[in-house]
Amino acid sequence: MNPNENKSCCTNAIDASLRVPLLALFGGAAVWLVVGLVLGLIAGIKFHAPEFLGGCPLLTYGRLAPAANDAVLYGFCIPAALGVLLWIFARLSQNQLALPLVPVVAANLWHLGVFIGTAGILLGGSSGHTWLEYPRAAAVILFAAFLLIAASAAATFGWRREQTLYPSHWFLFAALLWFPWIYSTANLFLNSNQSPRGVVQPIIGWWFANNLVFVWLALVGVGIAFYFLPKIAGRSLASYGQALFGFLALIFFGSWCGIPQGAPVPAWLPTVSSIAAVLTLLPLLSILIVTVKTTFGANVSCNDGSFCFIRIGIMSFIASGILYISAACPQYSRILEFTWFGPAQTQLQLFGFAAMILFGAIYELLPSVMDKPLPFPKFAKLHFWFGLAGVVLLVVPLAISGVVQGEKLADAHIAFADANAATLKFLHISATGQLFILIGALLFAANIFAMTIQWKLGVAKTVITYIKSPLETAEVKS
Amino acid sequence: MSDEKKSCSVSSAGEPVSERSTTPMWIIVTTLILFFIGGIYFDRHSGWFDAKVYAPYSSAETLEAYQPKSGEAALLARGKKNYEAVCGTCHGPDGLGKPGQAPPLAGSEWVTAKGFNRLAHIPLMGLAGSISVAGKDWNMNMAAMGAALPDEDLAAVLSYIRSSWGNKASSVAGDDIKQIRSKMPAGAQPVTHDMLMQMPE
Amino acid sequence: MKTGIAIFVAAFVALGASWCGFVLAPALQLGGAKQTVILQTTDNWPLQRTGDATLGLQVYRAYGCAACHTEQVRQTGVASEVNLTGLGNRKAEDFSAFAKSLFVLPELAGVTNAFAASLNGWNGELPKTLFTTTDVELASALAERLKAVGVKCETRLVATGSDIARGWGSRQSVAVDYLYDQPVQLGSMRAGPDLANIGVRVPDANLHLNHLYAPKSVTPNSTMPSFKFLFEVRKIGAAPSADALNLPKEFAAAPGFEIVPKPEAKQLAAYLLSLKANVPLYEAPFTPVK
Repeated sequence: MNPNENKSCCTNAIDASLRVPLLALFGGAAVWLVVGLVLGLIAGIKFHAPEFLGGCPLLTYGRLAPAANDAVLYGFCIPAALGVLLWIFARLSQNQLALPLVPVVAANLWHLGVFIGTAGILLGGSSGHTWLEYPRAAAVILFAAFLLIAASAAATFGWRREQTLYPSHWFLFAALLWFPWIYSTANLFLNSNQSPRGVVQPIIGWWFANNLVFVWLALVGVGIAFYFLPKIAGRSLASYGQALFGFLALIFFGSWCGIPQGAPVPAWLPTVSSIAAVLTLLPLLSILIVTVKTTFGANVSCNDGSFCFIRIGIMSFIASGILYISAACPQYSRILEFTWFGPAQTQLQLFGFAAMILFGAIYELLPSVMDKPLPFPKFAKLHFWFGLAGVVLLVVPLAISGVVQGEKLADAHIAFADANAATLKFLHISATGQLFILIGALLFAANIFAMTIQWKLGVAKTVITYIKSPLETAEVKS
Repeated sequence: MSDEKKSCSVSSAGEPVSERSTTPMWIIVTTLILFFIGGIYFDRHSGWFDAKVYAPYSSAETLEAYQPKSGEAALLARGKKNYEAVCGTCHGPDGLGKPGQAPPLAGSEWVTAKGFNRLAHIPLMGLAGSISVAGKDWNMNMAAMGAALPDEDLAAVLSYIRSSWGNKASSVAGDDIKQIRSKMPAGAQPVTHDMLMQMPE
Repeated sequence: MKTGIAIFVAAFVALGASWCGFVLAPALQLGGAKQTVILQTTDNWPLQRTGDATLGLQVYRAYGCAACHTEQVRQTGVASEVNLTGLGNRKAEDFSAFAKSLFVLPELAGVTNAFAASLNGWNGELPKTLFTTTDVELASALAERLKAVGVKCETRLVATGSDIARGWGSRQSVAVDYLYDQPVQLGSMRAGPDLANIGVRVPDANLHLNHLYAPKSVTPNSTMPSFKFLFEVRKIGAAPSADALNLPKEFAAAPGFEIVPKPEAKQLAAYLLSLKANVPLYEAPFTPVK
């Protein structure tokens, strides 16, 4: 670290200001990723051995599955994304993180909220709404924590020295508004004493799930990718105009998807969602064009590094988007609705897209934030291969099993039990995929924890040195 | 790679920049075309925001076309209309009757009896004297309110009261009323409870 | 976009629009919904659940049953059936030829062919579906034609779709079916069969309890986990409990012991019994079987 008069402009100082907030966010995120994957793996095993850990009501499938999904989304994806968002904002603003203590408090609050939420689900207090299962107390804590981080991010943005905006700003700034609005609406309508009657509940639930799992993850994922891809490739982001269209079309059309075709609601709702889904193909195309133009032909070898993670992430986004949109077409949804196809698409969005982009981003920024190289660089490369293999082994068989199951269920002469039995061999393979992703996550967690311990030891050493030599002026690294 | 320079311009600080270019026209045009196609799809499938129209019905008119029309529904609808015009003032639109005016029809054993013969005579001839209805005693005078109704209409009214308000009994056909009318003595006096009990059910 | 304000406004308008469309509008249109009436009757629909069934919904929610089961029936179409209910004075063998002779007009050729096809190999059993069409007018015209020559027949409106064909319901689920559910447990994944009408298919509480305790005793290759923790295995007291489960030998309790459902299990069974939605409504009409 170089003491410098013009500190606010020095990237070292910018990075240093983010050290504690990012460690707090990423450390907890790594823990929740592993927890979520373990719970998901147990849930997957239960399909082959229904009595596996069967005596414990806390581990019944109906509680494990939502707890696992929520742990990955709320426990890992959101805090990791917020951490990367804070760093990108600070770097693009060419300014240190504003209100640096606030994200640290918020990170701890967030992880507490996820803990209460997960415990709540496992103990039977789930709210009953998909992606919104956390009981009220956890929801309030998460909302408050998000607002705190958003405040710090907004302040960093507001006090920026570099005035020109970059496309990532649009995506990430919109994400800061998006989550509090949808989360508060969904919880106020569904998780409070004044729930609306009847089918309005699932309608709001579908609106929320689409805007969180599809639109919000797309906003942060693409925003992060559009920052790192040109930077690592050493080129400029191709086509500002195309990126602008992609952003506007994503938020204007993407937010109207989500109502399933067979839903017990008046016909106008699924019809509007269908139309929006087809229109959403266009921002997907724009984002693909920008990515391809920026990265292909660049002189960057993939090398199992961050570039690979992020490029695979965007490709997975396009794939998952196409699966999502095809499920919104009435003739396909007739077969695919209520089968494993839906979970396959969700897992691709979470693990293939969001997690991959976040891993790439974290591996890229963390060494410069901590001012130290990765403790286990080989783990990062291994993580990439395990992660990629895991995603392919998880998603592809699951999607195929969904199609098989759907076709069999569509034929009333095939007994339900037979249709179900046909999916089991695919679920075997998917469970292996889950295991590979878990191994990758453990490798990731190992790096994060090692860095945290290194940093803590470094702080301890500096404090001890300071205590031992009170006459020397030593700067305490914070 | 982080840059050590102190300069604050984006590109020299190592932060990414984007190429300046405008949104290509072809994607705008494609969006507009998709909007147009979406509009046509919406017109065909949405039921135009009607809360009662669910897929696979494509519009409110289609849904209406599939509603059962002949037989029961028409009979009951007709019966309801005539009931409200002729009987409802005294017996109430909800069949609960009014104390001091008319006994209830909802839950009345005279209405829900297996056979409708006794019931049919009441509006055809009128009713006088004391009669017990659903456990309460009533002693009023009812005129022959159904005497002026054509057979089909009276049959519809009786079918309606026999299947409404929780009553579950069979319908009455116009022919049945015709037969009963043909057997009625001329110079009709109102029936009484005892006369009703002497008739077959 | 050059300023933060511009981004904020764009995001605000986009999310605001979708909030108005998918939160506000449905809440206004469907949020104040009231009971409706069953088609061609004055009976209210739906009826509030009472007692154990209401508590059972909370048990269903707490154990995440919606992770594997849906509670909605889908329908892909509707058709009018012309059903033969009486032959008049004719014999079954003659009927096919007779039916052909009725519809000599060329535009009704499709009808005679359809009649012939459905009567092919018919053993004379009544009622028999003669003709199915989505054209309601055509179906009633055919029925009138047949009735005019003394054949007894009826037209029935039936819902079509794979869920219906599977016997999971007689019509699709509509908004008003969920009026009193708090929370609505539609489900999104069918690792287990649909439950919208399970109270009609399995009206026996004991079968539900047996299934919860040992799913394999009811469905041999079931992947459903057992909910043994909702039951208590205890020594038989002076006399066997009236609630004790009656299971096949390999699942039953050890001799001298009985399996008794805890209150949660009974509530869940009561809830499952209350899941019935086989009534015709204006928005989902069909002719109920008498």
